[in-house]
Amino acid sequence: MRERKIVISDPSLRDGNHAVQHALREDQIAAYCKAADAAGVSIVEVGHGNGLGASSLQLGEAATPDHIALATARANLIKSKLGIHVIPGFATIERDLKPALELGVDVVRVASHCTEADICERHISYSRSMGSEVWGCLMMSHMISPALLLEQARKMESYGAEGVVFMDSSGHYIPDDVRQRVETLVDGLSIAVGFHGHNNLGLAIANSMAAADAGATLLDGCARGFGAGAGNTQLEVLVAVLERIGYSTGIDLYKMLDAADLAEKILMKEVPTISSVSVVSGMAGVFSGFMKPVTRIAKEFNIDPRDVFFELGRRKIIAGQEDIILEVAKELAQQAGRR
Amino acid sequence: MKLECQTRIRHDCLQVLHGREKALDVLRQTNLVIIGGTGFVGSWIAEMVATLNDEYQFGIKLSLISRSTDQFAIRLPHFAHRSDVQLIKSDVRQLGQFPMDADWVIHAAANPDVRTHASNPLDTASVIVDGTMSVLRTAERLGRLKKLLYLSSGLVCGSQPASVKGVSESAQGAPTPDASFIYPNAKRFAETLCSAARAQSRIPVLVARPFSFIGPYQSLDTPWAQTTFLSDALRGHPIRLQGDGQVVRSYLYGSDAAYWFLKILTAGQAGDVVNVGSPVGIALQDLAKEVAKNFEPSPDIMFNTAPRSTGKSAQLLPDTTHAQNDYGLSVFTPLEEAIKLTAQWHAMQNN
Repeated sequence: MRERKIVISDPSLRDGNHAVQHALREDQIAAYCKAADAAGVSIVEVGHGNGLGASSLQLGEAATPDHIALATARANLIKSKLGIHVIPGFATIERDLKPALELGVDVVRVASHCTEADICERHISYSRSMGSEVWGCLMMSHMISPALLLEQARKMESYGAEGVVFMDSSGHYIPDDVRQRVETLVDGLSIAVGFHGHNNLGLAIANSMAAADAGATLLDGCARGFGAGAGNTQLEVLVAVLERIGYSTGIDLYKMLDAADLAEKILMKEVPTISSVSVVSGMAGVFSGFMKPVTRIAKEFNIDPRDVFFELGRRKIIAGQEDIILEVAKELAQQAGRR
Repeated sequence: MKLECQTRIRHDCLQVLHGREKALDVLRQTNLVIIGGTGFVGSWIAEMVATLNDEYQFGIKLSLISRSTDQFAIRLPHFAHRSDVQLIKSDVRQLGQFPMDADWVIHAAANPDVRTHASNPLDTASVIVDGTMSVLRTAERLGRLKKLLYLSSGLVCGSQPASVKGVSESAQGAPTPDASFIYPNAKRFAETLCSAARAQSRIPVLVARPFSFIGPYQSLDTPWAQTTFLSDALRGHPIRLQGDGQVVRSYLYGSDAAYWFLKILTAGQAGDVVNVGSPVGIALQDLAKEVAKNFEPSPDIMFNTAPRSTGKSAQLLPDTTHAQNDYGLSVFTPLEEAIKLTAQWHAMQNN
């Protein structure tokens, strides 16, 4: 089992953008792409944290427009494939996807909330018809059972996706959760299965190992864990662990470690850590990207951000419903009689 | 449609009919109705009937019933002005204008697009189940009806066990009863409805179970292996394989399938079930190579970055012993030729 090849997809320059308010610049993109390419990373994902076409006042404006970010990455990736994250609605086919493919994107990952795979049909079909490699991504996958996750993944398969990645967007999983889902997906799909982890509970590496052992053939990881909230699966550690237990990734470990050092130096204001609030976010099953707005709003209302996260989790709030943070904070403050 | 493409289709039909047309003599001077008659299967049967009428003076009156007759008239304009062909725009679930003098009926109404099954499973089931009920209720009122052929699906027996070479008509498997398998489950129930109508109302209905086809009139927009490979190659892209390329399928050419359906309709006994497809399997990796051979420059064949190994549903082939022994049917157009004809036809259409 462990002689299999695991393909690594690196969203440092996409998910990492969440951690810096989408402020990654052209020179940073170029430098990290060169380093990841030299290390032999299979797929390097680039763009706004919420993907192609998502730069906006509501979600945060990207310092580097999509077309410049992609052209820069393309110019600096020789062996590695260039990937993008596409959420239908943020990204439209004519305005965003078509120009991105013309810029030389190799891998399109079309993502939706875990219960909404239907919205991906046109974007998957279009990308496939243009000759791109297409994956489906199911975000916040902990919110539904493995059986329902399979139903949604099958939709993506029927639309033409060549693989499905399920995302632990809030860092909520423990290894048994991941194993169960990968086994269900591998058994029920005829396409490849991938896993994207977050580290809120300190289990991103263990969860990724569980995914690989259960049959996943693609794993996501970010250099130094550069990503939303407590960060993603730490890529250089993931590569080392995979090598340690016998999986092949095709990545040069030393060069990967160098790339991670570079990422820490040039991309990050701070290396992601598992803060107390991150732990609560993971426990509550709330999207890691909520960490900064929750912390800010909780401070404004003089309430405990951990209470906000648990209430958001109870309400099953997902990305795109950030306005509820304010509502929740206000209610909690009123209950506490503080405002 | 370009004249050269029409000519090619006619040529294909003649090739299959050569020396076999007498087997369809009972169709002479009769009325044939195809419900769902404007899709791949309906289009090919219509072409075959037109060939029988034009080249062998069969005098068949053909009625094609479909929700999309407007698109059909645009796509196949040579049918729009034929005096022996009538287009009737109707949903299979509300057959208000059915030709009551029908001698033969082929019920092919269903959407085979897996994307529709995934996004609209209830509508998929409604067209199949409510549609079949509607057809059977209509058939009860047809005084001249000789035979009704229901086109089911090769998927109604579920996945093919590794221990058999092909799925026979008597296979006991069944699709998993969840939404992802709404199409084969609905088809399976529709077969039961046909059986019930035969038992209760003595409707002379029999069932054909189509497997995979290839040929002109198959939309290259559909996400099946043969269509995506052709689409990739025609666009000048590399041919992309989803898995490790070891999945095995088989393909029957459109004109072969049309003849098979007409032969089963006319020669079959009520209650019979017959597989329709090619028993000759091909791994998808080899299918991609066969497609690539027909293009210059030959497209590259690419695998997914993270391919998975072949799963348990690696092979789905029909056992066609029944069709061969009892109907004298076989593959008339070898796969290599079928791919070549299909690629050339699409290239002619695009040029």
